[in-house]
Amino acid sequence: MTPSRFKKILLILAVVLAFGLPLVLRSPTYLHILIMLFLFAYMTTTWNLVGGFAGVLPLGHSVFVGIGAYTSTMLWLQWGISPWIGMIVGGLIAAAVGTLIGLPTLKMRGAYFALATMAFVEGIRVMVENIDKLGPFVLNGPRGLNIPPLPEGSLAAFQFASKEPYYYIILIMLLLVVGLTWRISRSKMGYLLMAGGEEPDAAQALGVNVTRYKVMAMALSSFLTALAGTFIAQLTLFIYPKSVLTLDLSFELAFIALIGGRGSIAGPILGALLLRPVSEFSRIYLSATLPGLHLIILGAILILVMLYQPRGLQEPITRFFDRLAARFGNGNGGTEEKA
Amino acid sequence: MNMLEIKDLTKDFGGLRAVDSLDLSIGTGEILGLIGPNGAGKSTVFNCVAGLFPPSSGEITFDGRRINGVKPWNLCKAGLARTFQIVKPFATKSVLFNVMVGAFAVTDNTDEARERAIEVLDFLHLKKRMDMRAGNLTIADRKRLEIARALATGPKLLLLDEVMAGLRPTEVDEVIAIIRELKGRGMTIFVIEHIMRAIMALSDRLVVIQFGRKICEGEPEAVACDENVIKAYLGEDYAAS
Amino acid sequence: MLYYLQDVIDGVLMGSIYGLLALGLTLIFGVLKVINFAHGSFLMLGMYVAYWTVSLTGLHPYLSLILVVPAMFLFGYGFQKALVQPIFKAESDVREPITVIIVTTGVWYILDNLALLLFGPDYRALTPNPLKGKMLELGEIFISLPKLYGCISALVTAGALTWFLRATRTGRAIRAVSLDREAASLMGISQWRIFAVAMGIGTSIAGISGVALTPFYNVYPTVGVPFDVKCFVIVVLGGLGSIPGAMLGGVIIGLVESLGPVFMTATWTEAIVYGLFLLFLFVKPSGLFGVKYDW
Repeated sequence: MTPSRFKKILLILAVVLAFGLPLVLRSPTYLHILIMLFLFAYMTTTWNLVGGFAGVLPLGHSVFVGIGAYTSTMLWLQWGISPWIGMIVGGLIAAAVGTLIGLPTLKMRGAYFALATMAFVEGIRVMVENIDKLGPFVLNGPRGLNIPPLPEGSLAAFQFASKEPYYYIILIMLLLVVGLTWRISRSKMGYLLMAGGEEPDAAQALGVNVTRYKVMAMALSSFLTALAGTFIAQLTLFIYPKSVLTLDLSFELAFIALIGGRGSIAGPILGALLLRPVSEFSRIYLSATLPGLHLIILGAILILVMLYQPRGLQEPITRFFDRLAARFGNGNGGTEEKA
Repeated sequence: MNMLEIKDLTKDFGGLRAVDSLDLSIGTGEILGLIGPNGAGKSTVFNCVAGLFPPSSGEITFDGRRINGVKPWNLCKAGLARTFQIVKPFATKSVLFNVMVGAFAVTDNTDEARERAIEVLDFLHLKKRMDMRAGNLTIADRKRLEIARALATGPKLLLLDEVMAGLRPTEVDEVIAIIRELKGRGMTIFVIEHIMRAIMALSDRLVVIQFGRKICEGEPEAVACDENVIKAYLGEDYAAS
Repeated sequence: MLYYLQDVIDGVLMGSIYGLLALGLTLIFGVLKVINFAHGSFLMLGMYVAYWTVSLTGLHPYLSLILVVPAMFLFGYGFQKALVQPIFKAESDVREPITVIIVTTGVWYILDNLALLLFGPDYRALTPNPLKGKMLELGEIFISLPKLYGCISALVTAGALTWFLRATRTGRAIRAVSLDREAASLMGISQWRIFAVAMGIGTSIAGISGVALTPFYNVYPTVGVPFDVKCFVIVVLGGLGSIPGAMLGGVIIGLVESLGPVFMTATWTEAIVYGLFLLFLFVKPSGLFGVKYDW
């Protein structure tokens, strides 16, 4: 067995395990925690297309989550259009908005992009909070939108009586988007995107239209992030500006990506795997006794990781698996695949 | 036909005239050296040719096409490649990655780009370093990587901006050999260099500029004896003695 | 008409204090090319230091500057040396170290929540407060005295900073580093020392803003957050790195905030602030006083 084969088997095992888990784990609470974990892994992976590969720092990706959530919900409530279709429509609107933000700001250095994306979320949130009706659509301002639950569940309505379907939907979405990111990272687009993100002048001299690639990545990332918005709306059946259009969510995606490892495939997943449980449990167990302590822990983790592993925790963890693979996969044989 | 024609090129930065009505041409397959004291405007000439700044006035023609204001990436695709005086590697990525980015200018296929990049690395004696992080290379290797990336884009005209600065004499000789080999393959090369020994040995023709103006042009030996050039480099006292 | 004049004066006074706070942010940005997300938390820290100094010693609020300015300078200097500098060094071949921004965010989270943990969520009003509710009456116009003093301290600080950057050796070194790090270090300027000094000055300016605010603004753990976002808007409006830009940007935001509610609901005013910000980003990203190149 070669090391790369060993790694492939580990990967397949992990996927099989993920698919089999709901058969063993019957508790809806734990399933919900896993769903949230996959959801954050998904959103961070789509964030990573811009924040990792294009080398800028988006701090407003929740605006796309919000666009996705609101679009599909408004279409469903007003015209009874299936959220599956609304999901795509929301994605397209998000892609257009992402392009619009990206075109002027991605030409400049990163600071402007970070601030612009931040201001954009805040601006949109304040606006949505002030609008009760938009044309034919009800927005309900700060009170948000309720989706009337269908107790029986319905595939067309993107509503299910139990947690399992949601689990499988987000798991498949995550696998697809990870596969897509993997493909991109090995394609011309990925190379040129990363080159432009690191040294724009050099990349331009080597024939790369840096801004164009960054804007393309931004559009794709916005589209995919918005799909998660529809998923959140259908999972919780209740959305309001402070749930989907917040800076907190935007920052959390950036934190997960940076702790896991920006610009790598495994980073966002690892980051979600490590950070979600920590923040979830510390919030539950600590916030009652010592308010704010969980955020102090988060801040400390951030600083320590940036100080000692600026490329994120994926680096030592990948190294560990490489060594493991070399040992179990009879190291010196076989051609190791280069990442 | 000349590969590059510069006519009456002027470039102002605010009130400062960095290049002043410069005429210059490079024949196909020729190596032209551009020399001059520090701050003479050499790099500005390069940056105008490579599309980094639009010229204030004048005309630049590359391979029969007017290229004023054409963007750097389009110039690169048209066959004009450059290196930077201050090297700008993609430092956190591998050496191979760096060169593959250049190779993607001529192919969309990842495997082809990799093959092409490895070929170029081999030519520059960098193949053994191809999995190294580019930021960890020595200065000499960084300079070579800079050339390798530019070569991978398949240029007709190569602009080399002080690729030998900071190298040891043996390393300089290596780079000279590489550039000669490129000329042998029919490439046109435009060089800025401070190391006189190298530029004298390489160039078919030399252009000397000072304060943005051309003060002399000709074969290396002739230029070296020119009175204006000696004045420019060594000051008035040494001239006409 | 008089009614508007009252709002205009309020807006200018409050805006100049915004500008004062933004001055620190823009200085740090100009030198390090990094947005300091902890700047609002530095303000919060300055406010708490001022608050505790006054309530424990009974000093006049403005005398707390004697303690706040050096304490905040040391804090900023230490923050740069201990946290930001190692990351800058580790990422020396990265052009825009995003990791540094994230570290400042981590510091923001820690400071705000540490304050919550130590002092609780209470909104604290300064006591004893000799300036409480003091007004200057000019006919029918009322001018809040603490705000007026805040405006004066903003102008004095901006003037002093400008003088410092032009006339002193360290100040000129700071300007040199902000223009071109490599060239400055070739001239024998230690960029690390300059980074730390700039961070120290920027932080003590946040402290001065804190002292200016406490006589009329409650102190609470997340008081920095609304100011933080406003500061980002202000520095982009004025041009990242520009001193007059920060002051003018502050006044513009102050005016929008004080005049906006006359014409629309207060929440829409907030939307206008962001709208203005995005408009500038799209139309004139260099801001009112920014340099066109580089940033």
